[in-house]
Parts: sequence; C-alpha cells; structure tokens
Amino acid sequence: MNRGNRILLSCVYWAFVLYVFVPLVLMIVMGFKDSKFIGFPIRSWTLDWYTGVFDDAAVPSAFVYSVVIAVLATIISVFVGTWIAVLLEGRKFLGRTAIFGLTVLPALVPGIISAIAFRIYARWLGIEPGMGAIVWAHAVHNVPFVALVVMARLSTLPKSQIEAARDLGADPIIAFLRITLPYLVPAILGASIFCLLLSFDDFVRSFFLGGYDPTLPVLIFAKLRSGMSPEINAIATIALILTAAIGIWAERFTRRMNKES
Amino acid sequence: MSDEVAPRTGRGPDTSERKHLTFWGALSGWKPYRLIIGIATASPRRQFLILAAFPLLWVLTQHLGPMLQMLRVSFTDAYPVAPGVEQHFTLDNYARFFGDYIFWQPFFRTLTFASVFTFCTLILTYPVAYFLARHVSRKNQMLMLLLLLIPFWVGEIVRTYAIMILLGNTGAVNQLLKWLSLIDRPIPFMYTSFSMGVGIVYLTALYMLLPLYSALEKLPRSYNEAAADLGASAWTRFRRVTLPLTLEGISSGCTLVFLISTGFYATPVLLGGPSTTVFAETIAGFFHVAGDEWPTGAAFATIMFLAAIILTGVFQKLMNSLRKGDKN
Repeated sequence: MNRGNRILLSCVYWAFVLYVFVPLVLMIVMGFKDSKFIGFPIRSWTLDWYTGVFDDAAVPSAFVYSVVIAVLATIISVFVGTWIAVLLEGRKFLGRTAIFGLTVLPALVPGIISAIAFRIYARWLGIEPGMGAIVWAHAVHNVPFVALVVMARLSTLPKSQIEAARDLGADPIIAFLRITLPYLVPAILGASIFCLLLSFDDFVRSFFLGGYDPTLPVLIFAKLRSGMSPEINAIATIALILTAAIGIWAERFTRRMNKES
Repeated sequence: MSDEVAPRTGRGPDTSERKHLTFWGALSGWKPYRLIIGIATASPRRQFLILAAFPLLWVLTQHLGPMLQMLRVSFTDAYPVAPGVEQHFTLDNYARFFGDYIFWQPFFRTLTFASVFTFCTLILTYPVAYFLARHVSRKNQMLMLLLLLIPFWVGEIVRTYAIMILLGNTGAVNQLLKWLSLIDRPIPFMYTSFSMGVGIVYLTALYMLLPLYSALEKLPRSYNEAAADLGASAWTRFRRVTLPLTLEGISSGCTLVFLISTGFYATPVLLGGPSTTVFAETIAGFFHVAGDEWPTGAAFATIMFLAAIILTGVFQKLMNSLRKGDKN
C-alpha cells in the first residue's frame, strides 16, 4: 500500500517537473525554427534567430537598461531591508507589529494595484516616468523580501557574541559592523540575488512607470503584441538562461555559505 | 566567529588581519567618531530612537504613502491636476463602478478566476509537496526542490510566452493530439479562460509549493506512524492527521497565490481574449487609453484591493476556525 502510494506520488512529482520544464524547452527549441511562423512541426532548422538577436539595437540597450535598474534597486532594498530587519528582530516595542505589517505590505499588494499606486505617488512626488521611477518602485517592492530573509538569519545569531564584543569595549556600531554584519552576509547575498532577479523579471511596475526606453520584459511584451516570431524566442531564451543560471548559482552559493558558518 | 571565516573567504592571512584590527582600533579611537557615538548612544532610549527613525519614516512614506495617495486621488475629480483647474472632492469615481454593470463583470470574473486558479494550484502542488517532504531522503529533497525552482527564476513574460507556444493552434499540445489522431482540427485553447488558467497556475505554483512543503516538512513522521499503529487507513491518516496539521501552510499558500493572481496584467492580456477581460485590464485602461481618468482608475484599484483583502481575511478566519475546531 505504502509502496504503491510512493510510486504514484513520484509519478506526480515527475509529471509536475515535465509541466514546468516542457513549455520552456519548447520555447527554446522554437528559436531554432527556420521560418517566420511559430508552430510545430519544425521542418528545417537555423541558428539565425539566435545569432541575430543583438543586431536589433533595441535588444542590447533594453538588456543593459534592465540590468542597471536591477542593480540600483537591489542596493537600495538591501540597505533599507537590512536596517528594518535589525530594528524588528529580537526587540519588543510598542508598534512593532504595525511596523512589521507595513514592511511586508508591498509584497502583498497585487501587482497591478501596486503599479498604479506607485504611478500616482511618483507623479505626486514629481518623479518623471523613466529609470528613476522604476528603480524606486522596484526598490520599495523588494524591501519586504530582504527584511524577511535577513530577519530569519538574524534570529539565529547567538546573543552572547554581541555581548562578548560589547564587554571587550566595542561600541554598538562597531559590534554591528564586526559581528552582526559578517554573520548576515549569506542572507544579504541571497536576498540581493533574489532582488536582482525580481527586478530584472518585473513587468508590471516597469510597464507603468517606464518612459520611452523599455526594460527587457517590456520590450518582449511589446514585440509579442505585434506578433509571435522566433526572434522573440531567441531573446526570451537568452533572458531565461541568464536568470536561471544566476538563480542556480546563488542557490548553491548561499547554501555553501550557510553550511560554512 | 568572523575571524574564523576570514581566511577562507580570501581576506588573507595574518598581515591583513592585523591591518584590519588597526583600522577598527583607529576608528574607535578617532575623536569625532567617539563624540558622535557618545551622543548617539548616551542612553538606550536614544539609541533605539536613532535605530527606529529611518525604518519608521521609510515604511510610512514609501510603503504606506503610495496606497494612501491612491486612496486620496480616488476621491478627487481631476488628477494629475492641470494648471488652472481646481481639484474637488467627489464620490463619482466609486459611483461609476457601482452604477455601471459593465464593470461588475470583469470585477467578479477576476475574483472568481483567482479563486478557481488558486484552488487548482493547491490541488496540483499538494501531492508534489507531500512527495518531497515525505518520501524523499533529506539529501535528495533539496536537489529535487531546486529542480522545481529553476523555471521559477524565469520572468513572467517569458513564461507566459512559453505557454502561448504550448497551447497555440499549431502548438505542441494540438500537434501531439493530431499526431495521436485524437483530433482532426486544432482545439482553440488560446485566448480562453483555459489558456489563462494554465498560464496563471504555471506562474504561481511555486508560491503555493513552498509554504506547503515547509508545513509538511515540519510535521513529525511519528504522528502518522502512531495513527497507523492505532489502525487508521492511509486515507483516514491523511484526512485526520496530515491535512489538519498542514492547514496553516494551505492557508498562507492560498492567500499568497490569490493575491498574486488578482494582480496579473500581462498574462491575461497575452493569454486571454475579449471574453476573459479581467479587472486589471479595466484599471490599466484608465491609465493608458483614456488619458485623464486616473481618479477613476485609482478608485477601481482601491475597490479591488479592498475586495481582495476582505476575501483573504475571511478565508484566513475560516481556516483558523477550522484549525481550532479540529483541536477540540
């Protein structure tokens, strides 16, 4: 009985793996089709779509634009998120629950609503649509993830270490910089990679807060609206490989760091 | 602790470590620094206020601010305000929603779709999470979970496009069915609620899988064994032990997936058709096509946010009472 269950469940698992991978594999394969029309069967193959990706100047510039936005937004979120985590973790004070609730709020607001709210607020603050506005929206949206990851790590830091440092004459700032911060490095790195990917992949906020220059997801969306073509497959595949590779690398890296400390 | 890690992370051997120390020593001996620290840490209260000021300011102005501003704009008749125009308080934006039933349809459609898709995601991922947490060794668990995480690093647009290729008239599914001679003519999957559902479940599965997995993983296996010893069948064990004890994971996974799926904009645009317009598209319309109708868009977004929050709140209450009821 138990054995039968186990086999059934493992079939379900592998079916799920197929479900999440097959669409992406098909999309990659379609980029090799020697025809303008998307669809099966593929009768002849070509590399032209992949080699031609960067001929269209819009693609590399959207790519660089997305990366710059992701990096800037991540720096802000990591700084703010870590600060919030240090305030909230292991401290009891009036209003802690309220601050915690407000901290996670941006992660819970549905995408379109958050994009609209940011658009209105940016207008009110006088931020023009464009890079600054996107960076700001991504940064705010990603703060909750940093705060939660850093809080989880911070909760495992032995209090005695800080106390020892203080006993030996370190002031709170130095104790933080020399004990707490090094201890948080794996969490901060993990959260940064997560933020980079969230920001790089984000569509809805980039779409509503963007100016004339599109980020990569916005560019793909615009191209998709004017029709499917293997060119889009090639662009999407490159974005896919890049993000998946960074994701896997980060996963392994943070795991190793966690094991070491 | 940090000193132990230092050589391994390549910060170098003894010499740099000594330099390291002198830097910190010099810093703490530096007069202006000592002065600032002295003032800042004069009392625990002051120390706390300095620590708390920035986060408090940030969450109020950056996290709460946009939502409040949206709420405020939803009660005005003009935004952005053109020069020479006066802004007035009005309830018209809300009246417009309640007065015109053509807006109700996408609104209720969104809530219905989001609920159905959330349920589908739950049904689909629960066995997967169960298998991972229960039937796989610790070492393989991480690898097998990582395998599932890889596609989720890929962005929303790219994954939506992948579903378009899968379900199109000349897509993989139709070609496969044709090849198996099950159909003569392609089934029009695309631009229906079905294609939208496949897309949204595909995008949200991970947010369900992870809470379920962590709830199942925390559950001690001995509970199940004890139930088995007492003669409970596999189904009874699942219904009376596993399911009630993982309600918390189910509740948080469903809440997350529901909120995320009400907020999708690009996926319904690309995978849906005219008969599946969701409220996100209605709201976006006020900001793109119509031009000066931001206040109406803000009001509609507020209505949707409130509806989503109330629904998930009721759902969580329900799950909580279920959990409590089971304990008695």
